[in-house]
Amino acid sequence: MDFIRTALGGAALCLFAGASAAAPVKIALIETLSGPQASAGLLYRAAVRYAVDGMNAEGGWNGEPVQLLEYDNQGGPTAAADKLKAAVAEGAQIVVQGASSAVGGQLTEDVRKHNIRNPGKEVVFINVGGEALELTGEKCHFHHFSFAGNAQVRTKALVNGMKSVQALGTRVYSMNQNYSWGQDMEKAISDQATNGGYQVVEKTLHDVNKIQDFAPYVAKISAAKADTVITGNWSNDLLLLMKATKAAGLKTRFGTMYLDQPGNLANGGDLALGHFVAQTFNVEAGGAQGERFAADFKAKTGQTPVAIQPQAVFGLWMVADALKRVKPEGGNLNVNAFARALESAKVRTPLGELGMRAADHQALLPIVVSTVAKDAKFKAEATDMGFKPVKVFGGEEAAAPAQSSCRMQRPA
Amino acid sequence: MDTFVVSLLNGAVYGLLLFMVSAGLTLIFGMMGVLNFAHASFYMLGAYFAYALEGTLGFWGALVASPFLVMGFGVAVERYFLRRVHHHGHAHELLLTFGLAFICAELIKLFFGNYPVNYRIPQAIDFAAFTVGSVGYPAYRVFMGGVALAMFGLMYLLLARTRVGIVVRSAIYKPRMVEALGHNVPVVFMGVFGVGAGLAGLAGAVAGAFYTTNPNMALELGAMVFVVVVVGGLGSLEGAMLASLLIGVVTSLAVSIDLSLADLLAHVGARDWAEAVGGLFTLKVSSLAATLPFALMLLVLLVRPGGLLGEKP
Repeated sequence: MDFIRTALGGAALCLFAGASAAAPVKIALIETLSGPQASAGLLYRAAVRYAVDGMNAEGGWNGEPVQLLEYDNQGGPTAAADKLKAAVAEGAQIVVQGASSAVGGQLTEDVRKHNIRNPGKEVVFINVGGEALELTGEKCHFHHFSFAGNAQVRTKALVNGMKSVQALGTRVYSMNQNYSWGQDMEKAISDQATNGGYQVVEKTLHDVNKIQDFAPYVAKISAAKADTVITGNWSNDLLLLMKATKAAGLKTRFGTMYLDQPGNLANGGDLALGHFVAQTFNVEAGGAQGERFAADFKAKTGQTPVAIQPQAVFGLWMVADALKRVKPEGGNLNVNAFARALESAKVRTPLGELGMRAADHQALLPIVVSTVAKDAKFKAEATDMGFKPVKVFGGEEAAAPAQSSCRMQRPA
Repeated sequence: MDTFVVSLLNGAVYGLLLFMVSAGLTLIFGMMGVLNFAHASFYMLGAYFAYALEGTLGFWGALVASPFLVMGFGVAVERYFLRRVHHHGHAHELLLTFGLAFICAELIKLFFGNYPVNYRIPQAIDFAAFTVGSVGYPAYRVFMGGVALAMFGLMYLLLARTRVGIVVRSAIYKPRMVEALGHNVPVVFMGVFGVGAGLAGLAGAVAGAFYTTNPNMALELGAMVFVVVVVGGLGSLEGAMLASLLIGVVTSLAVSIDLSLADLLAHVGARDWAEAVGGLFTLKVSSLAATLPFALMLLVLLVRPGGLLGEKP
């Protein structure tokens, strides 16, 4: 009997203790952790874990460590919507996702609706990788922040960078995947024609991740006598396209957005030499600071930061910067105050200052245009090649104007 | 004209590759009445085995050894897994192969990582066999086509002209009768399953070097292989050959057709209307290339449900 009374008393005490203590800030990572696209999701997870560990090493928020909750969205919007509900139920106030624009589109809409229905219990969506233009266009809202590049920004930098080393030529072939990202890219490539002084000789949109044999497309590139192919293709669609081009003996140069994804240089080998990529980070371009960041990342996660990982880390640095400037209200985080702080957040990354544009919540990312070369300072993936920076564009310089379709409603 | 010839060649070689993978699948279906969902996984295993062995055996050695390893794996799958669930009916066998496909993909990721591996054509055969117009035609493509054709020839001779072939064919149509005549049908099943797996493995070892060897390669080819088998007729080797070539050539030629429904309607003076409507009317054929095989499958299922060369149901 005594035992039961003690146990009950203990339980009651715990309950009260729980109620009176300040709630820690919970960050929910809703990422693709299983299935065919898991490789991308796992990259983001490593980056987010690294950044959250960094926040906690500096004392967390309001004297408590920031908690990271991880959810697997299984690569699709449906599961992501469910996981968002689960995350909100567990008290997450900050939601992070990067691997898929489709999932990002679902999450940003769900977050917007949740915030309308639950005033005072808002959630903020930190988009660290979804590059679809609509996320900062028609779908933009006060609680969405994009720390990813997009087709406009990347293409503009790529074109200017390639032009500065006379690698662009005058005949450009636009080859993209037939979905929102590829269509954004196709438009961006046409938009930059005057600026880059080239003519778009042919545009192709092809099925996404379904084509094994790119030889027919290479025949089209050859027939169009293109100097350069600009492509937003990623993963296998990029690798197979470049392989087929090399196999046909074409000397066409490639301007890409995602050549720095893991596996591309290892699998492609020499065929990648001389091609260009617009990246959101490059260790060599970051100088001593870049090296320090890469070394620290490697020490903590066991791998050097690749592809989109740095942009995700920098995005969460911005979150950390905003958190530092928000005072707890009754021990809790006021998400609207946090979002306002994030609008004016500024951090120093190895590539320069990273700021946030309040008009459409698009981060002003510095972009590096690099070329694959054997004399790059840092070699990629145990090959003898690496990404050698050609030109670095600061955040303001690289930025594309905010889209007019974004009509942001600010909370009163 | 050059583009047309190159497209035709490309399509034929891609078709032949599809045939290498689907040959085993259609044979196994004919024999056991079960679609083997793990078949494309054998293709992937072939590529990864060849990659793993390349260091010790060299490229050509690995190319020969890998199919035999996959064949051994296939035999083990039949002997220790499928045979146990055989008397529970087709649904169980189907589910088993389905699960096996997932396990293969995850194991590959566990051992070889999430990203494409460094398995490439050796420098020695990385040259143009001949040139059409200004474009070189890779020798390795010719080699891939040659391997597939040789394989088709051998399989055809084996099945049509030898005693073993007669036993296999009869075991496919009337297993109980063949058993009554004193042949060991389970061993025949095991053999066919093993050879089918080995052929997919060979295709993987050959194509993995030309395309990419990555943990998603089974998924990428898997759907297309099923389409081939359905279009060609379940269980028919010749049908698989015909369907593979058809799909390869159609996909390849469609890429160079920049026409849309709006262009077609222009002949009756309705172009402006079609372009105003947009959507399906302005979609170019070239952007649908990889989807056409599925449309073809739909058409075949509607018109000839048994497949092009399949038996009447």
